[in-house]
Amino acid sequence: MKHILLLALVSTFAASTAQADLLAIRVGRAETVAKGVIEHAVILVENGKIVTIGEDLPIERGIPILDRPEWIVVPGFVNCYSRLGCDSDGGDDMSPDVKASDELWPQAEEYAEIIKYGVTTLGLYPAGNGIPGQAVAVRTKAATKAEMILQDSVYLKVIMRADASAKKRVSDGFKKADEHAEKVKKAREKFDKDKEKKGAKKEEPKKEEKTDEKKSLQEPAVEDPKPDEKKDDKKDGFVPPAPDSKAKAFVDLREKSLSALVSINSAAEYLHWLDVLGKEDIKWDLRCVMSLDSDLFYVANKKEWDLDQDGIGDKKVHVVMEPRLTLTPGTMRSRNLAAEFSASGAKIVFIPRNDSVNDHKNWLANVGEIVGAGFKPESALHAMTLGGAEVMGVEARVGSLEKGKDANMVFLDGAPFEATTRIQAVMLDGKFVFGDVNQ
Amino acid sequence: MILIQRLLTCCFFAALALPVHAVPFQDEGGDAKKDEKQDDKKDDKKDDDKKPEDRWFAVVGGDVYTGTGAVLRGATVLSKNGKIEKIDFDVYMPPETKTLDATGYRVYPGLVAISSQGLLGNSGGDFEDTIDPFNSRMILGLATGITTTGSGSSAVKLKRFSVDDMVINDKIFSIFSWSNRSPRGKYDLREKFKNTSEYLRQYREWEKKVKDQKDLAEPSKKNVDGSCLSVLKGETTAKFVNNDADELLGIARLAQEFGFRPVIEGAQEAWTVADELGRAGARVILTPRDRRPKSELQAREGGTSIENAAILHRAGIPIAIVPSTEGVDLGGIAGRDIIHLPIEVGFAVRGGLPEQAALESITITPARIMGVSHRVGTLEVGKDCDLIVTDGDVLHYKSFVQYAVVDGKQVYDKERELFYAQIRPRPVAAEAKKVDKGETAPVKVDPAADAEKKDGEKKDDEGKDEEKKDDEKKDG
Amino acid sequence: MVRALDERRGARPRPALARVAALALVALASCASSANKPDLSPLGPGEEGWALRCDKILTADADDNVYSSGLILVRGSKIAYVGPNRAIPAGYKTLEGTAGVAAPGMVDLHSHIHSGGFGDVNDMVLPVNPELRAASALRPSNSAVKIACAGGVTTLYGIPGSGTSLSGFGLIYKTKTNATYDETVVQTVGGMKIAQSYNPERGAGDLGQTRAGLSWILEDVNEKAIGATRQGRKDRALENLQKIHSKELPVLIHCAGSDGFTAASRMWKEKYDTRCVLSHGCFDAHKTAQYIVAAGAPINAGPRMIDFFSTRDGAITGVTGVYERAGAKDLSVCTDSPVMPQEELFLQGAMSARYGAEGYNMLRATTINPARAFGIDARVGSLEVGKDADIVIRSGDPLDPRSRVELVLIDGRVQYDRRRDGQWF
Repeated sequence: MKHILLLALVSTFAASTAQADLLAIRVGRAETVAKGVIEHAVILVENGKIVTIGEDLPIERGIPILDRPEWIVVPGFVNCYSRLGCDSDGGDDMSPDVKASDELWPQAEEYAEIIKYGVTTLGLYPAGNGIPGQAVAVRTKAATKAEMILQDSVYLKVIMRADASAKKRVSDGFKKADEHAEKVKKAREKFDKDKEKKGAKKEEPKKEEKTDEKKSLQEPAVEDPKPDEKKDDKKDGFVPPAPDSKAKAFVDLREKSLSALVSINSAAEYLHWLDVLGKEDIKWDLRCVMSLDSDLFYVANKKEWDLDQDGIGDKKVHVVMEPRLTLTPGTMRSRNLAAEFSASGAKIVFIPRNDSVNDHKNWLANVGEIVGAGFKPESALHAMTLGGAEVMGVEARVGSLEKGKDANMVFLDGAPFEATTRIQAVMLDGKFVFGDVNQ
Repeated sequence: MILIQRLLTCCFFAALALPVHAVPFQDEGGDAKKDEKQDDKKDDKKDDDKKPEDRWFAVVGGDVYTGTGAVLRGATVLSKNGKIEKIDFDVYMPPETKTLDATGYRVYPGLVAISSQGLLGNSGGDFEDTIDPFNSRMILGLATGITTTGSGSSAVKLKRFSVDDMVINDKIFSIFSWSNRSPRGKYDLREKFKNTSEYLRQYREWEKKVKDQKDLAEPSKKNVDGSCLSVLKGETTAKFVNNDADELLGIARLAQEFGFRPVIEGAQEAWTVADELGRAGARVILTPRDRRPKSELQAREGGTSIENAAILHRAGIPIAIVPSTEGVDLGGIAGRDIIHLPIEVGFAVRGGLPEQAALESITITPARIMGVSHRVGTLEVGKDCDLIVTDGDVLHYKSFVQYAVVDGKQVYDKERELFYAQIRPRPVAAEAKKVDKGETAPVKVDPAADAEKKDGEKKDDEGKDEEKKDDEKKDG
Repeated sequence: MVRALDERRGARPRPALARVAALALVALASCASSANKPDLSPLGPGEEGWALRCDKILTADADDNVYSSGLILVRGSKIAYVGPNRAIPAGYKTLEGTAGVAAPGMVDLHSHIHSGGFGDVNDMVLPVNPELRAASALRPSNSAVKIACAGGVTTLYGIPGSGTSLSGFGLIYKTKTNATYDETVVQTVGGMKIAQSYNPERGAGDLGQTRAGLSWILEDVNEKAIGATRQGRKDRALENLQKIHSKELPVLIHCAGSDGFTAASRMWKEKYDTRCVLSHGCFDAHKTAQYIVAAGAPINAGPRMIDFFSTRDGAITGVTGVYERAGAKDLSVCTDSPVMPQEELFLQGAMSARYGAEGYNMLRATTINPARAFGIDARVGSLEVGKDADIVIRSGDPLDPRSRVELVLIDGRVQYDRRRDGQWF
């Protein structure tokens, strides 16, 4: 039943787009990350997308086939936290409006290098301290800036430190968003009054005012009518004022159209982040810097040390971290924080140990060390692929081998975290960008 | 005997009380009221928020040394939401109460270090924003028994794993300089106090009159010094760092003239002018082991004395003790830094300070000096549940803190942290309580309990000692 | 003796032999002291004697005798009786203010306060100075010494600093509070001071910048002394060093960490088989405890009593406890005064006990053990008949900072009386 259906699908594609970029791949195993492992997998790629993927699917005659039963395919790697190929200096400590997409340079040599190591998606963040701005998700091979961008404004980078100024930056940001909300509210009042003067019937605006009041009572914190969402506004022609550039990012955070990636070094900084966040309801993930004597194990979960606050695991956030074992402070006792966080409920997202080409080369091997120290291999692969995509909100496009997703794949000659495994080929958007692949 | 002791304590309190009455502008009673008011406000705020479930915590079975002089053997300390609810025997505890068994151990109020370095992480000021409640120095602080420390002009609790509400007072001191090397400086400071005090007098008169004469101009603030004003109004405490006797006398005179109670840190020669300092209502922060020989050119008494604390105590002066090194020193020299605070206090006892006053010098007295005695410093109902559980007399050199509790929450367990876990682990420590050949119970050196007392008590001791000795021989 | 030394030099002595020798020596010493019988005869005309009635007497003798409510008789400068309360023989006067705990005067083998402070302890020109004697720099009863006495410390080995590899010979003296040179000095040349590593490195110019150079410098001078002995040649500069090799004199060796500890044990114990005491043993030295103890040289720990950084296991380790558990014989603690104040020698014992050593043993580590390690236990270190009457009366446990020193007798004379002199410490 299933087979027939797939055949039909394939044939329609084959018929309708004879000239299309069509390729069938048959490998020993596909680790899809999202949908488990498929043995003897067949993947059909068309126009840079995965059209179908399944076990031992029959392939219609005429479709070119890449037959590599000894290979294992995994999704293209996603490093969501990088500055490779970017060279601008950081600006003001409070520049949430800065976008890394403005400094893209697709021809940077590094991209051509790291693509060989299986990295097909990068999240590039702006340089600088404090709140340096917004990151962009890019392909690692493209001719132009526009082609390169997978999605812009994927997260707002926030550097949290245990100092008053770092906390103030965040609270100031939300204050600006408050000011903006106030501005919108006033504009609305003015708009309604003007309307009244113009001679509209008395009852209607009154009603509207009342509903407005009710709304504001119900949702005192979030009060930022966006034109698209609030149909009422659109109907009567009210256009709310645009937030100023500094406030925009925080307005977006509250609307959850932007997420925050909060960089912390220590357990104290985690608590200070929760403290300054207060009751704000936004989407946020963590970038945890793995220093050798990191004390972040204290905040892995609430239970272990009886914290007043939820731990990182309890919050179920993503933790962007280097694959590196740490030590219990003051000792030579090693700790696997990735495993600790993961066991507590956090979603681990690995990035290379350092932001250099060479570390991208060693990335798979370095994650292998963490696996060797007890981290689950399937979580490790997730952490190199879909995890990063989720942090950037591009999980619908990249990060796993699923129907409809971008055909970004890494072909290996063995299990991903075996020391002897080497990358044989890399595919980006349906095209082989590395590897000697003669079909 | 008991009668004599009581008499003495009465005298002591009387001595304490005297300077209070003599001081018109600031007294501790006023302080406490102010603090209470603030507290009420805070509580109101809390009520506005959603009420979480009550958090019950109890320490059971230990010998409770409340720090007020009372000892309740095998009593329970029950706390609700971080405040002490009850200290008593056979206490009813709600079923959800978390308990900590302190049977065979002693329970003391958490120690208060009037100053320390590093226990709060690398933070300086702005503690709510900069504290590192995970740093290893804080663990060592709690392991020493310290649950509250002064830092700069703030009193901060060692609230591990939390960045909220750890500052209990952030405006304690106004620091002044008074040096023999700068006669001009001394003159200027006196002028400042004079002008400010004059302003304050005018202001109070104006306050009375302005009710009737509404257009009366407010007195000019020209020549008024902010620090002096806050001291004279009783908002902050004047602090001096001085050691020389004549400087100390100068400060005492200044304080008496303008009616404030100074805090003097250092105070090495204070023992030579104890009565004068006592009359001025001074409070002293000192290090018993400070060592400075008397100048050879000086005819009168001077230099440091191991008896400094004891002499000042007898003059009715509240004493807080700091170690010679205010930070943590793990370089190898043991016994001089903040993690050996009770050892330093031991040297004050050596100089004759009674044991109770010695305990107070690292609990309630520093709490009073910092204006936080309504929250910490003793175990009393209504105060913060900050306590430590030790395996012996807190001032004994072999005693270790087994548990520390801050705000009704256990934040330190000796067995769980790496620093001291290997030293006399708990089950053994509890068993081996009786045997230790070299260490007799320290003979009381309280001057109040002198000669006659010794005869009676020691005969009892002798018997015990011989029994012990026999036991040991059998073991051998 | 000389002959035996020559024979030994040919073949490298095995550690086991050395241990046996050390044990024999120790056994001899303890036999000699405990064999003395109490002298309860009345005092003769012109003789002076004091009777001390104490609440408790910690003798620190070989049997660890502790007397609750006991009596000490001091005849002249020596102890005539220690034991349970009994009738006082005729002629003795009862000393006032002796209630409390009596213990032997404390002994510190690593002290630099003979000159009154930091200065006057090191000649820093040549790397080896076998001709120098610390006694020349002694200021009897200087203020540091007086406070040491008030702290219950009565016998000191005053030595030159560790700025050079062989910095000279120290003196053994008592902390009398008002005495002349002759009254206070026990031995003008009491032993040698060696700095095996660390400190001399800093000062060295060319040779001696590394441990290798330092070892050669020391070996060279040792061989010169041994050669002089063999040839029967007189060399004024070497005569005291020769006494080290003939075991007439002990040697105290500054060896801070594990490397210096091992090097010192190898050179001075295993190679030259001297009466060496290894001082300091701080930092990571405790890691070599098993080896050092097996080799047999007594350890003199301090002034650093704890180690945190070298083990990297998060624990605060009490070094004395480690040596004790390794079975160290004649284990003692030191202040290296004025690094730690001399009067706080007891605190070194207290801190050792706090961080894992056994309490009573730490009283021994400040009294009889250092005396035995240096071979002066026939005179000081415990309260036994026939020994110097160096007695300290305290209000309680000798290791507790809260215990006040009430009275200090040295050679039978009151040197410090808190009620008479005021409290010095």
